[in-house]
Amino acid sequence: MTDTVQETAVQENADPSQVGVGPPKRALGILSTVALVVAAVVSLFPFYYMVVGSLQSEPNSGVSGAFPNPGNLTLGNFSAIDDRIDLVTALVNSGIFTGGVLLCTLFFGVLVGYALARLQFRGRGIVFAMLLLVQVVPFQLLMIPLYVLIARDYGLSDNYLGMILPFAINSTAVFIFRQYFLQLPAELFDAARIDGAGEIRTLWSIALPLVRPAMLTAVLLTFIGPWNEFLWPFLITKDPAKQPLAVALANYISTVASSVANPFGAILAGAVVLAAPAVALFIAFQRHFVSTDLGSGVKG
Amino acid sequence: MTIRHPRILAAAAVAGSLLLAACGSSSGGSTAAGTTTGPITVWYSNNAAEIEWAKQAIAGWNAAHADQQVTGNEIPAGKSSEETIGAAITAGTTPCLIFNTAPAAVSGFQKQGGLVDLNTFADGASYIESRSGTDVAKQYQSADGHYYQLPWKSNPVMIFFNKKIFAKAGIDTKKPPLATYAEFLATSKKIVASKAAQYAIYPSPSADFYQPWFDFYPMYAAATGGKQLVVDGKSGFTSAEGMKVINFWKQLYADKLAGTEVYQGDSFAEGKAAMSTVGPWAISTYKGKVDWGVVPVPTPDGMAADQVHTFSDAKNVGLYSSCKAKGTAWEFLKFATSQEQDGKLLDLTGQMPIRTDLTTTYADYLKANPDYQLFADQAARTVEVPNVANSVEIWTTFRAAWTSSVIFGKTDPTSTFTDAATKIDQLAASS
Amino acid sequence: MLGRQPIGLLFSAPYVAFLLVVFAIPLGFAVWMSFHDFFFTAPGVAVPHPFVGFDNYRAVLSDPAVLSSFAHVGVFMLINVPLTVILALVLAAALNRAIRGRVFLRVAFYVPYVTASVAVVGVWLYLFNSGGLVNKVLGPLAPDPSWLVNSTWAMPLIALFVTWKQLGFFILLYLAALQNIPKELYESAATDGAGTWRTFWSITVPGVRSATGLVVLLAMITGANLFTEPYLFTGGGGPDGASTSPVLLMYQKGILQGNPDVAAAIGVILTVIVLIIGAVNRWISERGER
Repeated sequence: MTDTVQETAVQENADPSQVGVGPPKRALGILSTVALVVAAVVSLFPFYYMVVGSLQSEPNSGVSGAFPNPGNLTLGNFSAIDDRIDLVTALVNSGIFTGGVLLCTLFFGVLVGYALARLQFRGRGIVFAMLLLVQVVPFQLLMIPLYVLIARDYGLSDNYLGMILPFAINSTAVFIFRQYFLQLPAELFDAARIDGAGEIRTLWSIALPLVRPAMLTAVLLTFIGPWNEFLWPFLITKDPAKQPLAVALANYISTVASSVANPFGAILAGAVVLAAPAVALFIAFQRHFVSTDLGSGVKG
Repeated sequence: MTIRHPRILAAAAVAGSLLLAACGSSSGGSTAAGTTTGPITVWYSNNAAEIEWAKQAIAGWNAAHADQQVTGNEIPAGKSSEETIGAAITAGTTPCLIFNTAPAAVSGFQKQGGLVDLNTFADGASYIESRSGTDVAKQYQSADGHYYQLPWKSNPVMIFFNKKIFAKAGIDTKKPPLATYAEFLATSKKIVASKAAQYAIYPSPSADFYQPWFDFYPMYAAATGGKQLVVDGKSGFTSAEGMKVINFWKQLYADKLAGTEVYQGDSFAEGKAAMSTVGPWAISTYKGKVDWGVVPVPTPDGMAADQVHTFSDAKNVGLYSSCKAKGTAWEFLKFATSQEQDGKLLDLTGQMPIRTDLTTTYADYLKANPDYQLFADQAARTVEVPNVANSVEIWTTFRAAWTSSVIFGKTDPTSTFTDAATKIDQLAASS
Repeated sequence: MLGRQPIGLLFSAPYVAFLLVVFAIPLGFAVWMSFHDFFFTAPGVAVPHPFVGFDNYRAVLSDPAVLSSFAHVGVFMLINVPLTVILALVLAAALNRAIRGRVFLRVAFYVPYVTASVAVVGVWLYLFNSGGLVNKVLGPLAPDPSWLVNSTWAMPLIALFVTWKQLGFFILLYLAALQNIPKELYESAATDGAGTWRTFWSITVPGVRSATGLVVLLAMITGANLFTEPYLFTGGGGPDGASTSPVLLMYQKGILQGNPDVAAAIGVILTVIVLIIGAVNRWISERGER
């Protein structure tokens, strides 16, 4: 279940199509390379353009604007947006929101994922059915009633707890944990039980070390949710000091951008600030975030 | 939609009476609302000028009232402020006073039970009416004849024009021909044809409910001699005058004299548009950026400048029901709208306090700042949005008709606005 | 009898409590709200919420704005779903064959997915406004009026944006599925002398059928929940309401206009449609496997 295994699998799978390389196959190879390169350029160009645009002192939307021009470079857009939005506070808020969700998902998600995969208990079927139903019902239907419950009945508006609560345990992550625990050989657990190990010790010292790749997958998958979430924190936080970056930037785009000298530059600077941590984290961990992890989740 | 209205009516009535009961009980069982004193919190708008005004007003009060300290916070202005307040009412987290309550939102907040009826203060109605004048104040009364908002300041809307662009297009900048619709259209065509600017005028074409206040509504107020969108539960924009305004704008868009794409920057400051509908706040905003002139909004056949009505763009003060120290809140409200504080507001923000004696009390200031004199004169002839139920939904309905038939010219204005009028009358009738 | 390992109940308890609080109760509340005359009130203000039967549903279904918002999502899905399936499968297959640069390509495809819509919408606005780079490059071929104020192009552009943004995730799903196809199948196809196209059509496509079912379902759920993109791209559903979505209307009616009961009715209808689509999807993919 390590990535080396996965990489070899891919290599081997790639082999059959290379069998008997003739002229048409080579043409196809070139064609698929072209397709991949074009797709990569299309994927990355907006990010490149985002960075270039955020550094322009005068907006240049022409073709020449797509290339950095030393005479038209500035860091002023970053300070312009920082004047209106407290970027540090907003980043910290995003961090607290995302971190809270990650902690809850990892702790409680592993517990329930393990129980669903490895333990026989009454009501397991119902819990699993709910897990599936959650994925189908759109969050937006629950949004308004949730708002009333959390803001009014629990009094958690403008509060980190209120922000975190609806996302606290990511059901997709629970699903991935379950699939992983399910794949582990049953003998492991039987042996542990014969030795008289309790369920908590079995989980902690036998099962958990074996599902580390699933943990990373779940971390990255869970991270994307709250870090990018706009609608819920937008509703629940009205105090600018509590708003995560995604909300602060959206407010900035829709209301204050028109009053600065170079609104697009300022918007793009904010976009860079929002995108950078997520992209950096993904690149740092991408080796671990391999397709097999999700593949096993898909089959279930 | 229609089926639900009688029930909403009943619900609103119950809400109102419960609210009154709640107010009474919170101040110790007496019938007067405002006797409790103590520290309070207030919110104000987040633009630099208003922050400065609010800070000095709060400091002035706090110096004299050690046991009734006022704490001030900024709230997000513009697009999201109504929604911010609506959510805070539901959650019970509103402050005592919000110095940025939009008149269009008052009926909704009132229905939610979020606002205190100011008539429950012994001197509530009399204070409002003596400060703003009975006729003006009346526009801010709710359906039950009570005040749930204190009319605070207005931004009477006029037309700014860029003198440089006008000169480039060969138009007289001293007396630009902009008084009648025919003149306005001819001038606009000249600007665009000469390429002096891409557009003659560029109000935001987005679908937000409040956008009509900066294209249609000022001209409707002018064309009708000061009528509100809905009068006695009937919408009037399908009248001959209303349709003239509608067709005038339709022409502007059809001839590409106005832009249809939401613009991220400030089209007037950047010279993308030669004219803009603005309030007195624009004087300081464009100082040093644009060489501007100002005229009243045009009317179908022209009108003397001192006869023209316009939209008031008022921001008012609401006292919110979650407030514990209502007595302090009311006293602070009177302090913040006193003659002295209103003078500071005018001085610091350039916005017009809604007072009967505006031009006489502050004559010295207006003489020293003649730019503001025009707006102060205009402030005497303003029209507010109607204070009726479902206000936001009414404006949304109007805007949808405007977008499809005026901005994008896809539907016939007469039938589209007739349908909109029917729906709006139903919405307004539920109050 | 609580089962062989009743400690499982303890392990599940936090998650069950969580689901009750943030899922079951609000879902029940939403459904209740949609059958009553309801609006938000300040705490302590008790207002009767009379039962109104299907009135809210009737109001929703007779509102042309709501009906057209469902139609817009239909347009969105017609573009987004096939495009997503085809591009993701083709790129995954190509990526599976590629020898060099696989790591870089995987990162490149995945970066849009991990970035917040709020951030990339800013760039797209910059690229696609009337004086933007795309129109400059297209020159006379640029649509007039420009993309986001053109009621024909606004929704397709949003669909294209979402396809672009989500593609990396779906490529990943297909990559996983491709690895589960036994390579003997490819070997025997090669011995039979089957061409690349036939191999792709008769082995790869059926081999990833269950992944395709999932991709279609997830893409449809994304489409049904469309909100952020029209909200940010077109200033709340413009031009002339050509890019409204049901969730955007839920937001406008429920939060801005103070009619949460009507908004809840839209939500219930939306959920029922998604559940039906999910059931049909499952039925088709199960029938295909038999």
